[in-house]
Amino acid sequence: MPASRLTQTGNYRTRYTQDQTIFATAAEQLSLIVFVLLLLTLPLLLPKTLLRDVNLIMIYAVAVIGLNVTTGYTGLINIGQAAFMGVGAYATALAATRLNLPFFLAIPLGGVVAALIGTLVGLPSLRLKYLYLAIATLAFQIIFEWTVGHLPVLQQGSAISLPTVQVFGIRDTFLNHNAFWYYIILPVLVLMALLWRNVLRTRHGRALIAVRDNDRAAAAMGIHPGTAKLTAFLLGSFYAGIAGGLFAYFQKAVVIEDYGLHVSVQLLAMAIVGGLGSLPGSFLGPLFIVALDRSMEALSGWLGAQNLFPEGVDVATALRPLAFGLTIMLFLMFEPRGLANWWRLTRLYFKRWPYKF
Amino acid sequence: MKKALALSALVALSLAAAQKTVTLAWSGAITGPTSDAGASYAAGVEDYCKYANAQNLLPGVRLNCVVRDDQYNNANTQRNFEDFVGNMNVPVFLSYSTGSNLQLKGVIEETKVPTLPASYHIGLIDPPNNTYMFLPVSSYSENIVALLEYIAKKDRGAKVALVVNPSPFGRDPVVDARKAAQRLGLKIVDVQEVGGNNLDNTAMLRRFESQGVKYVINQNTAGPVANILKDAKRLGLLGKMQFMGAHYTGGEDLTKLAGDAAEDFIWATSYYLYDEGDRPGIQLVKKIGAQYGRKADTIRSVHYTSGMLAAAIAVEALKRAKNDLTAAGLYKGLTSMNGSRAFQPGFTVGPVTFSAKDHVGAESLRLLQADKTGNFKAITGPQRSQMFQLVHPLR
Repeated sequence: MPASRLTQTGNYRTRYTQDQTIFATAAEQLSLIVFVLLLLTLPLLLPKTLLRDVNLIMIYAVAVIGLNVTTGYTGLINIGQAAFMGVGAYATALAATRLNLPFFLAIPLGGVVAALIGTLVGLPSLRLKYLYLAIATLAFQIIFEWTVGHLPVLQQGSAISLPTVQVFGIRDTFLNHNAFWYYIILPVLVLMALLWRNVLRTRHGRALIAVRDNDRAAAAMGIHPGTAKLTAFLLGSFYAGIAGGLFAYFQKAVVIEDYGLHVSVQLLAMAIVGGLGSLPGSFLGPLFIVALDRSMEALSGWLGAQNLFPEGVDVATALRPLAFGLTIMLFLMFEPRGLANWWRLTRLYFKRWPYKF
Repeated sequence: MKKALALSALVALSLAAAQKTVTLAWSGAITGPTSDAGASYAAGVEDYCKYANAQNLLPGVRLNCVVRDDQYNNANTQRNFEDFVGNMNVPVFLSYSTGSNLQLKGVIEETKVPTLPASYHIGLIDPPNNTYMFLPVSSYSENIVALLEYIAKKDRGAKVALVVNPSPFGRDPVVDARKAAQRLGLKIVDVQEVGGNNLDNTAMLRRFESQGVKYVINQNTAGPVANILKDAKRLGLLGKMQFMGAHYTGGEDLTKLAGDAAEDFIWATSYYLYDEGDRPGIQLVKKIGAQYGRKADTIRSVHYTSGMLAAAIAVEALKRAKNDLTAAGLYKGLTSMNGSRAFQPGFTVGPVTFSAKDHVGAESLRLLQADKTGNFKAITGPQRSQMFQLVHPLR
């Protein structure tokens, strides 16, 4: 046994049950609790505009966990995650406006509807793999946009406004909007992350990874690859649906432009940069991409103000897509395991420092 | 001498201290989709704002001109709005796209900040949450109904096709167009959605041809329309079909992209054009554009004039607000623009009028047709659509 449960560095597990705990060490558990507590104070420290970005990062993180479930953990390429977000957002909007459901019921309902649609979209995965499956999910993205654009009940993609939310007597107003939603999105994110961490410990979660690594070997071990793939789509789109519902309320209205193909590509980029098949990567990816976007915005604004370029040469037009594309390319070339690997190496360093044993 | 110097320094200091600063802020697409229009619009807002400072149009008030790129991304627009209203205390929001404005309607109602969008989507001033939304010029829907009226006068019973952008911006006028066509005795035989990626329109145009379509009305941006016109020219359909469009389809942008295929295109807009140099508004556009070193293409663009109009309306409303330089004061200033107090900046074919009920600024529009050189010439005088109020009564 280690001298202290908080400073242990080695693997002292002697039973399978110990191997199945959510957190590997007590230090990990404690640091996470402290981190979440610190996060609760964030709205007091951050300016309102930055807090909006944090909220967006957290919403994207929920969607990226879902994308990681299908693509990262199960190996099913999905280029339609924004469409699943959209299904959740529109279902949430309809539940809130037509059924008058409160937000804490409307958002999960959006997740369930997205999960059902996601399972249907996942059906081709029983027969298709790799690029072929990617195209099937891309087709869903296009079908989704077309369907919304032609359905009068969804305002043909025009805005469906969400009702104003009130929690414990506190009303969502312009002045408290970002802080208000921060305290709703953060617990949802924590819950969703814990849920996935728990699912991974079950035989269903392990089956997904087995199918990703080798579906024939998985089948030989008694895992039904088809069921596992559909489970992955069900869970992945459920996460996307929840993210869509949160996004709809956060933006106060649903508009089709927010769930286009470019958003799916952005989510995929977040998953790749963060690290496919990694839970910390699902947080780091959105954080990195949003921070990159804001940095490029500031940089191009600054460069534009220096009068270095002739009029008509828009620095931002070139710089932002360039930075986005280059980042993905460089990550794929030099760090395919994404930022999650840097996180892992950093943790390893501090685990051993200063010469603990 | 020393006393006189000290006194004048004191007066200058007290004047500087008395000068108030008001932020005039715009958020729109300088990069990303529709930035071809957005960049010129932004330049127009920025330059007019600087001009207002230079000319001291608002005595005792210095305008802080802020123009921010939102990349046509609704979340970015909301971020900018929060920053403008929450941190910069702007009394008026100069905004851009249809989607972001529709999404912001509720928040604008809550914050009571008058908003002047670059989108002329009629849904923005439809209830609910329409108290603080003001369209600077006539709506896309009215543009299209006016075009239908023109067709009906020339060719009653003609077959018409609508080509619209696959977005709320494109789709919304279709309902009003259908209603108007029915009353005018026209047949809308097809409605097609065409986005910016329309590389080949052969199939669509051939279908129109086989359906006997004589008029094609576009509710889109100039890029997709230019591609349709080039394809129509290639297929020899330009003389057989008359192509037309609402505000964002035409102007310099269209002729630049479509070249001679734009010839005869009929365009509905409320703005005067660069070539109408005898108009005071256009003279001002040229003067300001030259003063701030803009490229010829920017100054010629109708979107540069549109940006100036939005900024000019805001500045005029501030002037009328007198000492109350808040959103409430600006709302009062804005809604006082009617009757003998209508605002005449000269950028549009009619005066800008607003009231608590009237949320459309320059209500008059003209139809213009492109000649061989690509210049648009007016084929009607300033007019309002007769039918529009019947198919879409504004409350």
